[in-house]
Amino acid sequence: MKDHKVSIRYASSFLDSVIENKNLDSASNDMELISNTLEGKNQLNLMLKSPVIKTQVKLSILTEIFKDKVSADSLKFLQFVLEKRREDLLSDISKKFLELKDDYLGIINIEITTAYEFTDEQQEQIRKKFESSLNKIIKLNYIVNKELIGGFIARAADTMYDASIKHQLETLRKRFLSGNVSLN
Amino acid sequence: MAEVRPDEISAILKKQLSGFENEMDIYDVGTVLSVGDGIARVYGLSKVMASELVEFPNNVFGMVLNLDEDSVGCVLFGESTLVKEGDIVKRTKRVASMPVGEAMLGRVITPLGVAIDGKGDIEIEKYSPIERKALGVVQRQPVKEALQTGITAIDAMIPIGRGQRELIIGDRQTGKTAIAIDTIINQKYTHSVEAKNLDIKPVFCIYVAIGQKSSTVAQVVAKLQESGAMEYTTIIAATASDPAPLQFIAPYSGATLGEFFRDSGRHALVIYDDLSKQAAAYRELSLLLRRPPGREAYPGDVFYLHSRLLERASKLNDELGGGSLTALPIIETQQGDVSAYIPTNVISITDGQIYLLGNLFNAGIRPAIDVGISVSRVGGNAQIKAMRKVAGTLKLDLAQYRELESFAKFGSDLDKSTQNTLAKGARLVELLKQGQFAPSPIERQVVSIFLGTNGYLDTISVADVKRFEKEVLEYIEVKYNNIFETIKKEKQLSDGTITLIKKAAEEFLVVFKKNI
Repeated sequence: MKDHKVSIRYASSFLDSVIENKNLDSASNDMELISNTLEGKNQLNLMLKSPVIKTQVKLSILTEIFKDKVSADSLKFLQFVLEKRREDLLSDISKKFLELKDDYLGIINIEITTAYEFTDEQQEQIRKKFESSLNKIIKLNYIVNKELIGGFIARAADTMYDASIKHQLETLRKRFLSGNVSLN
Repeated sequence: MAEVRPDEISAILKKQLSGFENEMDIYDVGTVLSVGDGIARVYGLSKVMASELVEFPNNVFGMVLNLDEDSVGCVLFGESTLVKEGDIVKRTKRVASMPVGEAMLGRVITPLGVAIDGKGDIEIEKYSPIERKALGVVQRQPVKEALQTGITAIDAMIPIGRGQRELIIGDRQTGKTAIAIDTIINQKYTHSVEAKNLDIKPVFCIYVAIGQKSSTVAQVVAKLQESGAMEYTTIIAATASDPAPLQFIAPYSGATLGEFFRDSGRHALVIYDDLSKQAAAYRELSLLLRRPPGREAYPGDVFYLHSRLLERASKLNDELGGGSLTALPIIETQQGDVSAYIPTNVISITDGQIYLLGNLFNAGIRPAIDVGISVSRVGGNAQIKAMRKVAGTLKLDLAQYRELESFAKFGSDLDKSTQNTLAKGARLVELLKQGQFAPSPIERQVVSIFLGTNGYLDTISVADVKRFEKEVLEYIEVKYNNIFETIKKEKQLSDGTITLIKKAAEEFLVVFKKNI
């Protein structure tokens, strides 16, 4: 819980500084790279979280990995985070940064779960629909889940748009069970 | 036998399905971060309201209590083992509420309004939020009607009015619940035709059992059924095996149901048995939600917990129908310590308290009311004139008796007047003893106290007082029944009635003494 707050603080201050220096694009690419590298339970992650390994060692490893791949600003930020001994939160910070950046640019991530893969035409249709209704730039992620039977579920932040057959059958079941069905 | 053809069924089903909208459902969600001890932390739910009902998978419901910067703290009303980390939580967009209506009478329900007496589902008329703000000053009027408990000592010296909040406080095993149950049973009279003719409005009762054994609740239900009191009573049970959140909201549910009767111009009585257990349940929740502990580890808002509950008891003004909600909270003390945190809080909130003592109870003085420190701050206005007249001297006599009683223990020689006071006091104490489940109507109470304070018992031995009372009341009922009728109707003790009572008592005294 506390970690979450800390990550937000670091991410938002880094975002503010890159906006000021007008290199948002390169910084976001860097953060995406860092986030992807630290994804999952790989050894790098374990190393960063380990209290046994000295900060100095961690710093030199990270610098070695990222020095040719990220901008000077981002590298400096990495060093700063390590200096403050928050290296275990690096993955969280990079993810939060990307979230906050999307927020700043008015981009909204929508996760669409479908029973079967959408055709390009359908994808375009759904993008247009959301763009017009939410009035924001839409980024779509697709997940296929056969359990839905048909239709789709879209999740934008905390709001679910549920048009799946599974949910409808569930609703129908509840209606029959609650006895609100009149037989005339 | 008539046959149902398959095509008929499919036609009906088709008709139903055609009415089913297959539009998109939009709802707000969050994700469970952690769950345990009946508490779930949820990420997301960014628009959720405080005390909103949220839906977890497997039909578990929860209530939002904490709105933090990055998460939401919910209490679960069901099994926390059915909820896992990563589960989706849905908003219901309504604050925690319960069904209310007349259909609840005669039923045993959970704090969320689900029947648990095996008598089938309750027909739901409407929902009412469990937490409601108490009414303001303008909507109220002073307490003015009496709520008869049927217990002579209370109705005479600690009168309770409709709309009052009177605390029943005492150690375990001192008869707190007995007083409450007797009061419910005594309301049976208010539902009779006779009461209707005398313009006494019926009182609907709600008994909220918090953290008690299921067997105790079952006993209460059986007793109320036996006395025919279940018809106008609802029992809300959050037993010891129910999760703490249910025990915490149970009294509020009771108040909500009571408010339903109050707001429709009727009268309701709600008994919270007991609020110390509710405070303990709330402490458990608060600590699990990581709210900082204060005195006795209770959270800082434990006073508000009880004050907002008891403030909902009220007497409405006539424009709003003049309904009332009387509250009888019960608090269990530990070794008679009324200066503990919760007892002092509730004492200061209520309009008086009935204090029950363990040693009185063990000495056979039951109900074990300590008349000295029991008070009722508003009920006096609600007492009928006849009772006020006879009870005035009763209180005085008992106070003098208690003062002298301690002297008498030294065994020193006592003068005549002291001996008289002591003798009279002992007889009055005896007179105020009363069996359980035997409420006494107001007119009988008036007559017996009149006899006690006017010296008619002085010549009878203490052991015979109860028998004398019973027999003289029977005698009056048979030979001078108009005494009871006049007191009931006129509600005061006219000189004529006094003369009649005196005459009857003197007549009977002669007969009684002959038989000794």
